[in-house]
Amino acid sequence: MTPRGFARRLASRLVSLVVIVLLGGFAAAALVRYSPGFASLPEDLDPSISPETLRALHAQNEDSNPLPVFYARYLAGTFHGGFGVSTSLNQPVAELLRRRAPVTVRLVAEGTAGGLLLGSLLAWAAVWTRCAYLQTVAVSLTGLFLVVPPAVLALVFFFNEAPLAIAVALAVFPRLFGTLRALLGDLYQSPALLAARARGLSSATIATRYVLGAASGQLIAITGVALVLAFGSAIPIEVICGIPGIGALALQAAIGRDMPLLCALALIITFFVTAIHTFGDLIE
Amino acid sequence: MRRKLASAILILVALCALFAPAIAPFDYDRQFRESPHAAAGGQFLMGTDNLGRDRFSRLVYATRISIVLAPAAAAVSVLLALMLSRFSSLTTLCLSLPWIFLFIIMRALLPLDTGPFASILLTFALMGVAGWAWPARIFNASIRQIRQSGWLLQARASGMPSRRIALIHVWPHLRAIAVAQFRVLVPAYILSEASLGLIGLGVAEPLPSWGNLLAELQRPQAVSANPWILAPLGLLMLVMICLEEVSA
Repeated sequence: MTPRGFARRLASRLVSLVVIVLLGGFAAAALVRYSPGFASLPEDLDPSISPETLRALHAQNEDSNPLPVFYARYLAGTFHGGFGVSTSLNQPVAELLRRRAPVTVRLVAEGTAGGLLLGSLLAWAAVWTRCAYLQTVAVSLTGLFLVVPPAVLALVFFFNEAPLAIAVALAVFPRLFGTLRALLGDLYQSPALLAARARGLSSATIATRYVLGAASGQLIAITGVALVLAFGSAIPIEVICGIPGIGALALQAAIGRDMPLLCALALIITFFVTAIHTFGDLIE
Repeated sequence: MRRKLASAILILVALCALFAPAIAPFDYDRQFRESPHAAAGGQFLMGTDNLGRDRFSRLVYATRISIVLAPAAAAVSVLLALMLSRFSSLTTLCLSLPWIFLFIIMRALLPLDTGPFASILLTFALMGVAGWAWPARIFNASIRQIRQSGWLLQARASGMPSRRIALIHVWPHLRAIAVAQFRVLVPAYILSEASLGLIGLGVAEPLPSWGNLLAELQRPQAVSANPWILAPLGLLMLVMICLEEVSA
């Protein structure tokens, strides 16, 4: 592709990234606003509260702005440097995000790295060694971890006081194994690698010079997918193990019907997921 | 051989789920208040939970819910994917949305007094609606491929009406993809329900599902006292492995 063509493609991807992020935020706000339980309060279940008090509480919590107006005002506020104030936690959303995001980022990054490493090692063992025993072990391990819910893995690690990033890695690697094995299998049969092996190059040289070089584009795309998978696994893990990250914050915000916080989380998470997909597409 | 064994196990589990009232010795919500945390034995095959409910009976009924509703949600997703696959921009948008995040939010936002049956239907309906985008992308790609095929051109050139082309020529191709997508989605939804149940956002009590039965794993002391608490996890893994084997 020519530099001009690439620039045009990049510009179009960036525009679609912005549109998707804005639509994603709006979709989240609409889902929250029109969900059947948006207006309900914990006090609804308390029989000791009189109907008049309940009505007053509902009136106090009701947002009179129509959704598009709320969203437009919210976005305008966001562009002026802040995500507003959390209605359930009474703190600036930006401050909450600054405190919580590093926990999730670390969990996701470590889980992704672990998942990629484990998936690559098993894929290498299955393809490169040509050992039937290793292939069976790799496929069986993958199959085993594919059928265990990530939250159960997290509980095992949590009660044994082991790093939870391993649980994320174990949830991620089976979903990457198939793609990595196919990628390595194609490379293994390529004429360049056949020639390198025939020349007697060591496995380490072949791996670093030929495999990493030839598959770097696809590996970056797979890393993007791994990041999204790790994020998806990290959310229930954070909730169940009480880790103060973005996942736990999202649940807290949902339970507290906290629109500013939910919109901010939706915008950020949609940006994260879409940016990864866009980057993967551009690399491809 | 392995595939036949997996199919046989799945049929057996499905039959157990179908005839749950005949197999389970008690109702799923019957409480034996004099014997909470009872050990496994003659009266209670797998012991009782903290409310004195028979674990075996609850497992049989939970299997019924998970086994029946996950395929129903998968069918909804595939149907939606077939209907919406032509809107590729909508598919791209939906693929970019963080569905696990939105799903947790939507489930958490349900009214606090949502009944157990409504919670089942809403949980699986949300899964069905949320999961259509991946199959839609695959349908979209194959429809594009089919449009460029020589046989379709020939069918058009011979003056065949569009509806007949769609039913006789295109649908058999899409049907295979629909079945494959359905097989992929069923285990995914079973796992999703289990994860949601574990964090308390799945099927509401007192109705049992594999997800809310797994929530007992959060008490490790109880697990060491009665290892039958692990039975739902074992059954879930067995069914998932069999589904993978049958889909392979």
